[in-house]
Amino acid sequence: MTTLATRARTSEQPVLRTPPKKTGQRAALVVALVLGACFAALPVVWMLSSSFKTNPEIFEFPPRLITPGFSFDAYTTILTDPTKLRFFFNSYVIALSVTALSLVVAVHAAYAFSRYEFWGKKTINVVVVSVQAVPPITLLIPYFGLVVALKLYNTYQGLILTYMVFTLPYAIIMMTGYFNTLPKELDEAVKVDGAGPLTALWRILMPISVPGLVSVGVYTFMICWNEFLFALTLTRTEDMRTVPIGIQLLMGQHSYEWNEMMAMSILGCIPVLILFLFFQRYFIGGMTAGAVKI
Amino acid sequence: MGRVMGKGAHVGRFIALTAVASLALAACSGGGDADTGSDSDSGEDVTLEFSQWWEPELPDGAFRELMDQFEEENPGITVDLLSGPYASTKEQVVAGAAAGTMSDVVGLDGAWVSDFADQGAITDLSAVMSDAGYDESQLASQVKVDDKTYMIPVVNFVYPMFTNDALLAGAGVTAPPATRTEFADAAAKITTDSTYGWILPLSLEAPNGIQNDVMSWVWASGGSMLDDGQPALTDNEDVTSATDYIQGMWDDGVIAPGSFTMKEQDKVEEFSNGRVGMMIDSLAHVNLIRESNPDLDFSISAIPAEDGYTGERGIPYASWGIGIAENSEHKEEAFKLVEFLMSESVNSELSSIANAFPGNTTSVPDFVEEDELFGTAFEIYQSGFPANEFTGLPVAEQLMRDFGEEFQKALDGQQSMQDALAAAQTKWEEEF
Amino acid sequence: MSSTTRPAAEPRPVQAAPPPGADSARTRRIGRIRRTLTPYGFLSPTGVLLIILMITPIVMVVSYSLLDRVITNKNPAFVGFENYLEVLTDPVFFTAVRNTLVFTISSVIVHFVIGLAFALMLNSPLLKDRTKAFFRVLYILPWLFTVAIVAVLWRLLLSPNGVVNYLLGTAGITDGSTEWLANPSTALAAVTFINIWSGYPFFMISLLAGLQGIPRDLYEAAKVDGAGVVAQFRNVTLPQLRPIIISMALLDFIWTTQQFALIWMTTGGGPINSTEVLSTFTYKLAFTEYEFSVASASAVLVLLMSMVLAFFYVRHQKARD
Repeated sequence: MTTLATRARTSEQPVLRTPPKKTGQRAALVVALVLGACFAALPVVWMLSSSFKTNPEIFEFPPRLITPGFSFDAYTTILTDPTKLRFFFNSYVIALSVTALSLVVAVHAAYAFSRYEFWGKKTINVVVVSVQAVPPITLLIPYFGLVVALKLYNTYQGLILTYMVFTLPYAIIMMTGYFNTLPKELDEAVKVDGAGPLTALWRILMPISVPGLVSVGVYTFMICWNEFLFALTLTRTEDMRTVPIGIQLLMGQHSYEWNEMMAMSILGCIPVLILFLFFQRYFIGGMTAGAVKI
Repeated sequence: MGRVMGKGAHVGRFIALTAVASLALAACSGGGDADTGSDSDSGEDVTLEFSQWWEPELPDGAFRELMDQFEEENPGITVDLLSGPYASTKEQVVAGAAAGTMSDVVGLDGAWVSDFADQGAITDLSAVMSDAGYDESQLASQVKVDDKTYMIPVVNFVYPMFTNDALLAGAGVTAPPATRTEFADAAAKITTDSTYGWILPLSLEAPNGIQNDVMSWVWASGGSMLDDGQPALTDNEDVTSATDYIQGMWDDGVIAPGSFTMKEQDKVEEFSNGRVGMMIDSLAHVNLIRESNPDLDFSISAIPAEDGYTGERGIPYASWGIGIAENSEHKEEAFKLVEFLMSESVNSELSSIANAFPGNTTSVPDFVEEDELFGTAFEIYQSGFPANEFTGLPVAEQLMRDFGEEFQKALDGQQSMQDALAAAQTKWEEEF
Repeated sequence: MSSTTRPAAEPRPVQAAPPPGADSARTRRIGRIRRTLTPYGFLSPTGVLLIILMITPIVMVVSYSLLDRVITNKNPAFVGFENYLEVLTDPVFFTAVRNTLVFTISSVIVHFVIGLAFALMLNSPLLKDRTKAFFRVLYILPWLFTVAIVAVLWRLLLSPNGVVNYLLGTAGITDGSTEWLANPSTALAAVTFINIWSGYPFFMISLLAGLQGIPRDLYEAAKVDGAGVVAQFRNVTLPQLRPIIISMALLDFIWTTQQFALIWMTTGGGPINSTEVLSTFTYKLAFTEYEFSVASASAVLVLLMSMVLAFFYVRHQKARD
């Protein structure tokens, strides 16, 4: 559990606790939480259930959660197909590289936005925010031409740079907010000792910004992991495709492999879920400081 | 790093590092096989890129085997199969053509041909064929724009009528309907709380329901939606009677719910589950239906025609077509691949594994003799004529979508069918 | 700038003992220049990437929008604002704008409401940490799936023979035969609902984080003043969360206006044009009508509208500093 939450809880306990009323409130809260969980998770439960069914069973009416055709076939098919495993591998390589590179680049930009006043700051800020607003579908053709001209077509680099461009604005905005919450005296102190701003950034700000970095990183990772349109257009050969394309390849001209699609997205979400479980204490903490002062 | 170093040095080094990194990225990427067939020496080995959506649709490895056979027969040519999802093939071709990275050989749908030809993306095959001295007479059809061939249908998927015979029998209908009246009658009898007579997918995302499930009624009675190559939706008895007919069934509530967002893939699932008595569907689905529901008792017949119609019935079809990129540097080799796919034995084999009808007139797929159902379908196919007036039209998909929107409005009661046809006619005239 | 300055020591404004005479002025000037240039140095990698890979294609899109039939026409002519005129005189464009606004505004509002409600529940001191962690993982689930699969899943769930109808029908709430996505009057609501489902976790996580950042003494002070739970929420929680809410809402607004795949893969903009939004409108122009120029004009209009938003966003940021 998160250290932050724990701390918050222990600190308020003596004030808030008035036992008699609490039981009823707690029960109401649990009911509400369960209802909310139904909204959030039931569709996913259905996805999971469908991944164990045969294709016709998915369309059965009345629907059943567990059917006689229950099997792990869809999972076996995916996990024994080297082409599909390659999709997972590609998605990891790309998503992890983008996350790392985007963070490094964004941190410097955010540092500039947070610690300096300079000519054009406001304009650059507007640009950074609004470039997110161009419908990607219209960018596709010129962007594709550009990637081909730069000889990045069908390469990891092409996709990595593309996703960096997509995730940088968000990462910069969030990291700027995060740095804004950290007192300026911290880096001024280092500079007084004669060190440059880079030292201040890397030696002082970065170590205490780990939560912020994690939260932005997880978000970046998810964007890359789920992106479809550019992954499709900017790659050509099967060994360069990513998971979302693998899922769409199961949607044929005449029929869909419903159960395999479901299984593949379940498999796809597991690593992200593990990542979230692992990082969630930072995640919650990180968003705090970052978000408060964007 | 540390105290002695100035800020400038830090920042400067940072910039330098970035520059080096981007250079490195650019350099590495050179290693990737970024450009299409840059080696144009004809004496050298040639690699043909063939992008299509067929490979994932066929049994695992089956299409690659055919390519291996081609490579064996044509030493010095290797084929690189690039497969993409069907729904996104078009975007890839458009973007590829715009950037000059299109594959040498591309899989095409008849609805795209006119646009790609316009864009200058695909080459004039008539010229290539005459250069190669190819005998065109063996081709069942060619898709032409301005009298020049741009696409050759490799295999065709016809769309006959499927009937769930158990449902029909249960409703007291003994034979599959052959006329519109019989069909509407059967549909009404089948319809209960949980089953419906007919299913009509009208999704605007994939608007080919307009072609396969709506216009097919016109073509089956020998009608046409065009007049001398121009749209003729108004003052056209054939179109009016078909659309009024569908409207009638819609109002009677014999069409399964969910039409407006339903796609071809949904249609077949509903039929396999026995919730729909009749549908017009691709033969490609026969095996899928059998796998999904081995007990389903179904048969195939020609699409019902107007009462008293005795002429040949048009039967809608969709093709896996093939074309060659305009900017391909290996058109000659590319055509060898086309020739190979169209040759009698290979075309038979491909038709067999795809459950489609061959694009070569002399080919006969195995299943026609082995499988009664396909045998019947082949008879229907041969006794009628393949009809798909959308093939080769400009922005064909948009035409279907325009029509679909107006048609939906009419079914939804927002306008009369006559107004819908008039509105669609206006939109179509703008596109032509 | 990097090559010459390497050995130069950092000017130390705080410390005394300035270097002698003429040299000092020069060093100070260099220092000043350096100070001015430093932020640009930090921004340079971002700048290089965004200029090459984002601004360039945007500029190309803008130029497409001023030409006649780009891509399909080899030598397009300059036609000025004709394409914009075509977009702005198309009644479907305004339907799309209206639907986009309905879709986006309701998505953002409900994202916020659900996100806040869930965040408040997950932040409740009444629950054990482990319970909260468990629900947090459940609540994050919708965020983990690629749009294609979200669309396919909800098409299955909302089909006339789907689970949703089955459950509602069995419970007697509806007659169990609603065509959620295929009925023009419910389609937009259904698509919005799907978007709400798949997008609220982002809000929830951010607000949850925000809640934990609110200093406890604010609540205690409120309680001393006799404020109840509702008053505490109104006077402490909401004002404290306001900055997050506004920035999240703006980001979400921009992202939601671009939602394409979800709508395209569930309804294709239909039935009729009840779910036609700007992104599907633009897509159809580009990839089924091959009107790349007109599509570009439509995209530029979207960009302009978003720039207005971005401007307010930045101003809002400034105001708070």
